[in-house]
Amino acid sequence: MTISRRNVLLGATASAALLPIAARAQTPEVAIGIIYPLSGASAQIGVDAQKSFETALEIINKDFDFDLPLARGEGLPGLGGARIRLVFADHQADPQKGRAEAERLITQEKVCAIIGTYQSAVAVTISQICERYQIPFMSADNSSPSLHRRGLKFYFRAAPHDEMFSAAMFDFFDAMKKKGTKIDTLSLFHEDTIFGTDSGNAQLKLANERGYKVVADIKYRSNSPSLSAEVQQLKAGNADVLMPSSYTTDGILLIKTMAELGYKPSAIVAQDAGFSEKALYDAVGDKLEGAISRGSFSLDLAAKRPMVGKINAMFKEKSGKDLNDFSSRQFMALIVMAEAINRAKSTDGDKIRESLVATDIPGDNTIMPWKRVKFDEMGQNNDADPVLLQYVGGKFVTIFPPQAAVADALWPMK
Amino acid sequence: MTAETIIQSLASGLLMGLLYGLIAVGLALIFGLMDVVNFAHGEFLMIAMYATFFLFAFFAIDPLLAAPLVAAALFVFGAVVYLLVVRFAVRAKANAGMVQIFSTFGLAIVMRGLAQFFFTPDYRSIAHSWLGGKTISIHGIFLPVPQLVGALVSIAAFGALYFFINRTDFGRALEATREDAGAVALVGIDKNKVFALGWGLGAALVGLAGAVMAMFFYIYPDVGASFALIAYVTVALGGFGSVFGAFAGGIIVGLVEASTALLLPPSLKSVGIYAVYLLVVFIRPRGLFGSI
Amino acid sequence: MDTNFAQRRRRDLIVAACLAAIAALVPLFVKDVYVQNIMVLTLMYAALSQSWNILSGYCGQISLGHALYFGLGAYTTALLFTKFGVLPWFGMLGGGLISAIIAMALGYPCFRLRGHYFVIATIVIAETALLLFQNWDWAGAALGIDIPVRHDSWLTFQFTRSKLPYFYFALVLACIAWFVTWWLEDSKWGYWWRAVKDNPDAAESLGVVVFNSKMGAAAVSAFLTAVGGSFYAQFVSYIDPESVMGFQFSLLMALPAVLGGIGTLWGPVLGAVILIPLTELTRSFIGGSGRGVDLIVYGTLIVLISLARPEGLVGLFSRRRKEATR
Repeated sequence: MTISRRNVLLGATASAALLPIAARAQTPEVAIGIIYPLSGASAQIGVDAQKSFETALEIINKDFDFDLPLARGEGLPGLGGARIRLVFADHQADPQKGRAEAERLITQEKVCAIIGTYQSAVAVTISQICERYQIPFMSADNSSPSLHRRGLKFYFRAAPHDEMFSAAMFDFFDAMKKKGTKIDTLSLFHEDTIFGTDSGNAQLKLANERGYKVVADIKYRSNSPSLSAEVQQLKAGNADVLMPSSYTTDGILLIKTMAELGYKPSAIVAQDAGFSEKALYDAVGDKLEGAISRGSFSLDLAAKRPMVGKINAMFKEKSGKDLNDFSSRQFMALIVMAEAINRAKSTDGDKIRESLVATDIPGDNTIMPWKRVKFDEMGQNNDADPVLLQYVGGKFVTIFPPQAAVADALWPMK
Repeated sequence: MTAETIIQSLASGLLMGLLYGLIAVGLALIFGLMDVVNFAHGEFLMIAMYATFFLFAFFAIDPLLAAPLVAAALFVFGAVVYLLVVRFAVRAKANAGMVQIFSTFGLAIVMRGLAQFFFTPDYRSIAHSWLGGKTISIHGIFLPVPQLVGALVSIAAFGALYFFINRTDFGRALEATREDAGAVALVGIDKNKVFALGWGLGAALVGLAGAVMAMFFYIYPDVGASFALIAYVTVALGGFGSVFGAFAGGIIVGLVEASTALLLPPSLKSVGIYAVYLLVVFIRPRGLFGSI
Repeated sequence: MDTNFAQRRRRDLIVAACLAAIAALVPLFVKDVYVQNIMVLTLMYAALSQSWNILSGYCGQISLGHALYFGLGAYTTALLFTKFGVLPWFGMLGGGLISAIIAMALGYPCFRLRGHYFVIATIVIAETALLLFQNWDWAGAALGIDIPVRHDSWLTFQFTRSKLPYFYFALVLACIAWFVTWWLEDSKWGYWWRAVKDNPDAAESLGVVVFNSKMGAAAVSAFLTAVGGSFYAQFVSYIDPESVMGFQFSLLMALPAVLGGIGTLWGPVLGAVILIPLTELTRSFIGGSGRGVDLIVYGTLIVLISLARPEGLVGLFSRRRKEATR
């Protein structure tokens, strides 16, 4: 009764969206919501993310001979071979819209889990809504450390956060110092949204704890028309290491401006983001020989684990790009979530949550250099070891930590 | 803070300021002609940058050579926008101001959507152009060549525009139409033709700016947003209706931005620009050189 | 003429009461939270746009910086609640008063500016506030403020799943904003504003009183906008500078009034009822393509409506009404 009346009120558009429910009835399906910026300034990330999730979807729903959960056999055996269906939604980097879309996916599309979001601000509101509806939320690629510390029961993150990433950078500095490299002073350069602020705070704290001198701590406005003044202050500081936390646009402008103002730091150790994007290296790669970026993914793993190369090839066919730090984390987020749903043998939010809490996937069964995937009581995977990658000869080479490294760091950069 | 830092900041600020002037002058010209603020101005810049990029990517035409082509293309584009949209907006009898703000604003959204549709949201940039990445160093003060050329183009464009408005027939027609659109109709000047040419000229100037910008800036569908507000402030600071005002406004904005970044945290550098704007208009409600 | 005017006003009041009553009954039938969410946003934007319309439509002072007041309302409520445990109802009042005072302080120098100089001044003032909040560590800077939601309560105005309390609050807010506008139309202020619009010479003779009435309008407009901001903070339970003080918010407040009919009693309501569901539905159902189609549709509609109906969509109704009375 209420349903038919609601359909009338909703009008043509909405009922068209409800139609697939009928078609869905024959094969069992499990819907998972994917919320990303698909229009606006960071739409590129969302569009690439779609390709990455589709790659993971293909591996789950079809038969592949990979050492990856759910790769062998089709669909989810725990749910009678049910297929996963992804429902994409656009949050346009707006926390309110992300929230509304999460609610729509949960109530209308009946998704049993949500994955997102790129922008941390949107992850805040989506995870709140998921908590209210008791639906698990997985942060695929949000690295803000504040996210898992809010006492949410349905929040999970398989990937590292900025404090773990930054700690790896400082571990690396300590190791280089032991080898006799001079690293005493640092310049921090971070943008003014959540990502840059969180990253800057974490780095400043670590620098103080471990006795490095921060000669310049520059917070700049993201998407500024010019970075001349900022670069000049970096140049005046002339630190041993420049540590940028910038998205692609600002990263490109930063490197170009540095070259124009004759500033050549002896090392760049970047907090990922723009510095793992192909667009940035297409634009200014020639000036970045030897630049280091943190990451949670490395194609070097393909030598040890052939499936990494094959999965990369599948993704490349869809997107024209290699897997990078973002797309690999997105890929893993869906695999980890699907694995938990499969073990839960249910699409009930509470059961999936219990199953996620019990998750224990060995690192070898992922495409990441992680030890394993196991969540702590706050939903954070502390065994997701970050890596440091160096851009050498047009490719990324893993240089840290030693167990994952394939080469020594080139220091200073060219 | 050393003397070198200060001189370098001011030099960079001046170059950027001249470029801001070049970006803004089209806006000033159109406003001076017909009291219309083009809220899609930033998107015009975006289109010009994409045009430069594609000329480079597909035909290997260096941005420097592409500049006149882009300007010509934008000229046509501007005239078409006038004839298809703005012509109807200024005809509105009710709420004329609102209609033109929101019709051009709507146009801006459409242009961003179309850019995303056709060009994808990927970030583009021109990696190797003749001037890109080149820089001149004088006693430790660095002057990047693309911006230096941009500054020269800006000065040349303002010079040419001054000559054009004051010394040519068309310029006089433009001026006359601006002063009294009704009277010029009597002497046989087609108002729409003059306005369309004015829009074309304004867009062509943004085209030049876009070609220069493409040498050192990244390009994506939302790139115009970073420059639009600065362009409006530049024009208003100089005073609406004054082409010279946009030139002066640009220089001031560039210098203020650079010096604010020396004094405040750089994330607040725009606050300096905004404060100077408010200060100027509170004292001179028509900007520095404005007539309207 | 006067009797006509009085008659029209009485009829407007009756229509408004009927519409509000009908609106209040809708959630009894529409249980879908996604649709309810759209209705809450529609009412919120109707209220915001109505408040904006008081200053920009009736007084003719076009503000594209109302996000400032919206953000101040949101931040006052959220900061008072998370830092000092002050209930949002007091925060709402406090945010409104702070915004009203700031609006008058800014109005004093700004009302001397004309046309685009004024518009740009409002934009840069709001942008400055945005940048200051973005760099203000105590207020969360870019990290924003996450308002913890524990359990349903009218006291703290928090409800985990139900949209109904928010719906009724937004409805009341929209009604108040409408009623204030209705009341202003027939006040001394409303009379002066019309006089100034019709006859610029009148502006000279009425100079001082009109200036004061504009200050009053700015205060009322800012107060109501800030209450809307407080509501938003409670509704979304997370705020950050970009999402409550960004320029796009200023535009979103103005758009319904512009499309519906600027400086009219019914324009903002009509505009919001059309525009907000349209934006939400285009994003939800075609935004997922990642190709910007939603932007193209949305932008084209703005261009077409503003060109075809410069007096706003409300003109469609008044014309019919005129023909009927003829």
